[in-house]
Amino acid sequence: MKKAIHYINQFFAGIGGEEKADHKPEIREGLVGPAMALNEVLDAQVTHTVICGDNFMGSNTDEAVEMILGFLEDKEFDIFIAGPAFQAGRYGIACGTIAKAVKEKFGVPVLTSMHIENPGVEMFKKDMPIFKGGKSAAKLKDDVKAMADYANKILNGEKTLPAAEEGFYDRGIRAQVWLESGKTGAQRGVEMLIKKLAGEEFISELPIPEKDLVAIAPPIKDLSKSKIALITTGGIVPVANPDRIQSASATRWGRYDISKMDRLKAGEYKTIHAGFDPAAADADPNVVMPVDAMKEYLKEGKIGALHDYFYSTVGTGTTQAEAARMGKEIVVKLKEDNVDAVIMTST
Amino acid sequence: MIMIVLKLTKIITITKEIKIERRGHMKLELGKFNVKDVLFGEKTFFKDGVLTINKDEAISFIKEDEHITDVDIVIAKPGENTRIVPVKEAVEPRIRPDGRAVFPGVTGELAMAGEGRVHALKGCSVLGVGMHWGSFGDGLIDMGGEGAKYTLYSQLINICIVADTDEEKERHEQQKKNTAIRMASHKFAEYLGETVKELEPEEIDIYELDPVTKRDEKVDKLPSVVLVMQPQSQMEELGYNDLVYGWDMNKYVPSFMNPNEVLDGALISGSFMPSSSKWSTYDFQNFPTIRELYKEHGKSLNFLGVIMSNLNVSLEQKIRSSIFVAQMAKSLGADGAIVTEEGYGNPDADYILCLAALEDVGVKTVGISNECTGRDGASQPLVTLDVKANALVSTGNVSEIIKLPPADKVIGELESLARDGLSGGWPFDEFLGSSVKEDGSIIMENNGMFCGDMIAGWSTKTMKEF
Repeated sequence: MKKAIHYINQFFAGIGGEEKADHKPEIREGLVGPAMALNEVLDAQVTHTVICGDNFMGSNTDEAVEMILGFLEDKEFDIFIAGPAFQAGRYGIACGTIAKAVKEKFGVPVLTSMHIENPGVEMFKKDMPIFKGGKSAAKLKDDVKAMADYANKILNGEKTLPAAEEGFYDRGIRAQVWLESGKTGAQRGVEMLIKKLAGEEFISELPIPEKDLVAIAPPIKDLSKSKIALITTGGIVPVANPDRIQSASATRWGRYDISKMDRLKAGEYKTIHAGFDPAAADADPNVVMPVDAMKEYLKEGKIGALHDYFYSTVGTGTTQAEAARMGKEIVVKLKEDNVDAVIMTST
Repeated sequence: MIMIVLKLTKIITITKEIKIERRGHMKLELGKFNVKDVLFGEKTFFKDGVLTINKDEAISFIKEDEHITDVDIVIAKPGENTRIVPVKEAVEPRIRPDGRAVFPGVTGELAMAGEGRVHALKGCSVLGVGMHWGSFGDGLIDMGGEGAKYTLYSQLINICIVADTDEEKERHEQQKKNTAIRMASHKFAEYLGETVKELEPEEIDIYELDPVTKRDEKVDKLPSVVLVMQPQSQMEELGYNDLVYGWDMNKYVPSFMNPNEVLDGALISGSFMPSSSKWSTYDFQNFPTIRELYKEHGKSLNFLGVIMSNLNVSLEQKIRSSIFVAQMAKSLGADGAIVTEEGYGNPDADYILCLAALEDVGVKTVGISNECTGRDGASQPLVTLDVKANALVSTGNVSEIIKLPPADKVIGELESLARDGLSGGWPFDEFLGSSVKEDGSIIMENNGMFCGDMIAGWSTKTMKEF
């Protein structure tokens, strides 16, 4: 019989809720919590359950992933299933993070399940089939079954259906299908045109994503009277990274006081961005976040004021949806502080 | 001298006839002869659904072109375990009883196509196949087995002209005009059509459209639509592109055409576009999207006609063509348009530009094309995207990998798939090896399946998210 390993969080393992969210990763032989439901419907034996606290995975991602991959190194398994994570954001991101790492390291198929509003969907749907799950644990059985039905096809070497029919989010992977209806391109085209002309609903076979373009703002009239803020996606933070901004696929941002300094000092600030060689930025953080140059301009009177804080996050691997959310959150703060314009630096 | 005089008289007579016909409307009568079998015999004739060909006479006819240095004729039937490669062209055998050329400006004198009587041998095609040498736009056909589903031509009885030529200049070029073999296919299709010139067709399909401004009130009230066709014209040098009445479509701006002209030999295919994205001459003669629009004409749509565009390379040429198309559609009062391109990659720019230009002038559009989504299916499907193109039919993925077992028989030369730069084949790949294996099995991209994405409208394939 084929073998499977299941990943769940501390809550579903029965260890505890928020107060136990720092629970370190562990692996147990056999079935814990939802693994029992999974084992019942899966054409494979669930041999182990991996458990990790959501906060531990969120705050110590590298350590958590390394530990779990270590647990799995001597195990035999044909498939790795995480969740379902429902609408729980941190749990969803944890499922996506660990499933992606397992797929990359061991090359086995990985699956998870989340509700559409879980931020993990946007972050990881390109990396694995994420099944369209319910909002809460009331849907546990259905969500587990949906994953198992698909997993069984893979385990048994059967043909799988398009994403929409299987019930997972589009991954952006397209393949040829011969229509059972035998309807030709000509028939489909003419039919679509008749519907479109009649104002009826039609389904394009090649949906083109809407571009979310932001209009370019009008120029600043008088720079010498304006308050300027600095923002970067280059990952410049105080060396302790107090806001625990992730090195890739960021969901967090921070703001740091620069009112009392002329420049960012090496050793006090560094980059945590994992997408470029950090040597130059660590040696002089001003090359990414040009506090030094802005302070000079301030002295010269070229700009009216420099905002007391700079804002920072990491751009690499960060989804458009997360970036937009963080941007909107930052804009609120900038408006409160009457910032007139922003200089945004990247890497 | 006498010959010339006779010829001239003939043309004058025909012109008179056409003038009479033209007072009314364009009416094409397509007389159909269903071919159930093709075999070689003493005489070349058609009887009881069987086309018999005198092979020696046929070879002599093809060899009248001095550029054809060697030729054989081979018949391939549906279901046979036969592989044909490199295929350069497909043509439906036809004849016009009144003596006009089947392909005006190509196989004979210029005369308007799309009206009067034409006779067709249905269920078969003449294929132009390289005896040895292939080129970029050539394709592969499997007549049976799992490979058969990748092309329409596995369903037809194929009369293959397998030829070599004296076109030394391009023998080792990846891009070949393949002029001699392609022209032989058109001429030979007409030669075979002679067998039914005097016969009474089993069925006659009628294609007729009243002039745009002289239609019944009932038809006028229906939403009016045009078909915008973008045939291949990317090569700046003449001789590779599709021809309209014998004219190279690179040196052309969009025109309004009657759909009957397309169905009746006004256009012939070229020798450039990777095969799965190509429209063969057979595709033009039977263009399914035109026939589908005809079916709806007078019922749910008012089919105004065809705006024949092209697919030139530079952006300026693309924009110019889209201006012509949008203006014509607007001036004709089209409510809707179907846009279809013979190609992928660079031509996607023309396709999307044209769809957007039409939407901008208030013409609602549907596009029909294939896509190039990569071997893993994860790449951007078209080179350019525009949200205005919100109703697209997708007929396949150029880059899907296809593995097929050896065939019992090969018509042409199998090695050409790997050796000659066919768009779907390769001589070497560090992971996949050569496209052609020692045992005769093959690995290739869908790109090289002969007219495989059936963009003309045959395709029962689509693309879905997996």
